[in-house]
Amino acid sequence: MTASQIFAVVIFVAMFILIVMDKIERHYVTLGSGILTLVVVFGICMRSGTAIWDTIALKGFATKDFWYQVTESESKGINWATIIFIAGMMVMVEGMAKAGFFRWLCMKIAFLVKCKTIPVFITFMIMSAVLSMFIDSITVIMFLAAVTIELSQLLKFNPVPMILSEIFCANLGGSATMCGDPPNIIVGTSLGYSFGDFLTNTGLVAGISLIVSIVFFYFVFRKELVSENSANIDISKLPKPSEAITNKRDFIASTVIFGCAVILLVTHSITHLTVATIGLFIAIVTLIAFAKDALELLKKVDYKTVVFFIGLFIVVGGLEETGILEIIADFIEKISGGDAKLMIVIILWVSAIASAFVDNIPFAATMVPVIQSLAATSGVALPTLAWTLSIGTDIGGSATPIGASANVVGTSVAAKNGYPIGWGKYCKKLAPATVIVLAISTAYIFMRYL
Amino acid sequence: MSQIIISVGREFGSGGRVIAEALAERFNIPIYDRHLITEIAERTGLTPEEIEKYNENPKKKIISRRVRGYSNSIEDNIAEMQFNFLKEKSDSGESFVVVGRCSETKLKYNPALVSLFVLADMDAKIKRVMEVYELSEEDAKEFIRKKDKKRKRYHNYHCSGHWGDSRLYDICINSTCLGIDKTVDYLENYIRARSDI
Repeated sequence: MTASQIFAVVIFVAMFILIVMDKIERHYVTLGSGILTLVVVFGICMRSGTAIWDTIALKGFATKDFWYQVTESESKGINWATIIFIAGMMVMVEGMAKAGFFRWLCMKIAFLVKCKTIPVFITFMIMSAVLSMFIDSITVIMFLAAVTIELSQLLKFNPVPMILSEIFCANLGGSATMCGDPPNIIVGTSLGYSFGDFLTNTGLVAGISLIVSIVFFYFVFRKELVSENSANIDISKLPKPSEAITNKRDFIASTVIFGCAVILLVTHSITHLTVATIGLFIAIVTLIAFAKDALELLKKVDYKTVVFFIGLFIVVGGLEETGILEIIADFIEKISGGDAKLMIVIILWVSAIASAFVDNIPFAATMVPVIQSLAATSGVALPTLAWTLSIGTDIGGSATPIGASANVVGTSVAAKNGYPIGWGKYCKKLAPATVIVLAISTAYIFMRYL
Repeated sequence: MSQIIISVGREFGSGGRVIAEALAERFNIPIYDRHLITEIAERTGLTPEEIEKYNENPKKKIISRRVRGYSNSIEDNIAEMQFNFLKEKSDSGESFVVVGRCSETKLKYNPALVSLFVLADMDAKIKRVMEVYELSEEDAKEFIRKKDKKRKRYHNYHCSGHWGDSRLYDICINSTCLGIDKTVDYLENYIRARSDI
């Protein structure tokens, strides 16, 4: 191994350990590691200005392909398209939240099913999955869990089963589209796939899995959800959905902007607008619509996540430039003996198990160049490996309370309201559901692509 | 009476809690220690036993994660509830004594805060713990070590300053030197001088 490879690996491993230890905020960790990669790996060891320039990838902004892409292209280094898209969607989501959109939607659906526990349970699972297809699962769960607790207090049922099911479905919904979960955005923008590509590949298996999951959770939780007094609840006394709307004009504006975002995403393979363009456009339109509160919305953007991504992409760029990821790809090919089925099983289940315990974003960012290399050497189609990686990282995260952001937010909201959810309670129900969906996904990939 | 908040940090076995109770009595103000657990239990619907299980416990890092200020760790959430409760009390203008809970840092913004840290000689702590918990000398020593380690980890995780570091508190006092009663007298005078009560 060369000095640059050793340092790239040491920085990457140290970064991962520091993220897990949670002593220093994770965006400082990735940014510090990124700077170290630029200075030590590229500057001192490789003495390569080109490697630094390629990894920072700023020249991409000046290319037409970055904003308007007719042919698929792959990106290297900092994935600015992912960062701009995520930041843009954050601005839109903040606008929607400020207008009361999410609370209104939750209450509206609860009222549509007459606030009956089991129908609320089923519709909230579907809503969680559908919203997570377009909006980050953290926001979805933040609002769904809060409304679930509120309803549970009014309708006298235990909110824990419902919150757990919502978390699982949010992760499942996120796996269905390119913008549903950060690993998918990374996979999509890095390999040049569209929203439609994801929907017709990972989306299909997510849809099948959602139906199975709803049935599974219904049978697992039905006894816990039955409340003794539910028949006596007068729903006219419950807060009306319209009360959730803080400002009618803002509400209409945010709903229209959300609709536009969905249309732009669904049609981006036809319009050739990249996710970076869509993200930037949506952010600008939201800021114009919320002109008075634009500064407040901008302040609410989670800059820590944006910085986290920048640092992370640089560190992964270090592994890529030094050839470490090729070594990992060669290793996977060797242990699978070139057998495509075994390769799929390894990528899917290793991604899932890893994502159950560590942040799936760094994992996906690391694995994208690995599967590119693997496809080139083994002959297995790159899209097949890409869908496998996306499904593995997205679904695996559901198995433990720390596997995905939605799990952390959901369990935290529950605990703050007097419903602590420990590892035992969480894994007992969600780990089996994760295994079931992974088994379905394995069978789906085998049947459809091999 | 103007607001007064007395924060008492303590080594295990130093008599810090007894001193805090005595100060609460002398100033005729409520004390939040175990009472804090009852209050949180009433607010959340959790049982006091459930809260006690996670009270002043550091989170288990390897199985915990934090996302945008949200944490899956029950210990973290209970701690946050307690900090919020103390802040509410502090902002309401109420006077009270609080034992531990990083209160010397979390309530530092309030000028009414007087922060104390009570320590004691090891021999005195062992003697006290042997009497209160009916333990052998060895067991008492080990018990003290474990409890202080836990408090230190809890404190240092939630605050930037170090537990027991004199720079964090207005006054650090060794209860062995004067004994519990005279330490209380001394602290009472100090607090009265600080608060013009």
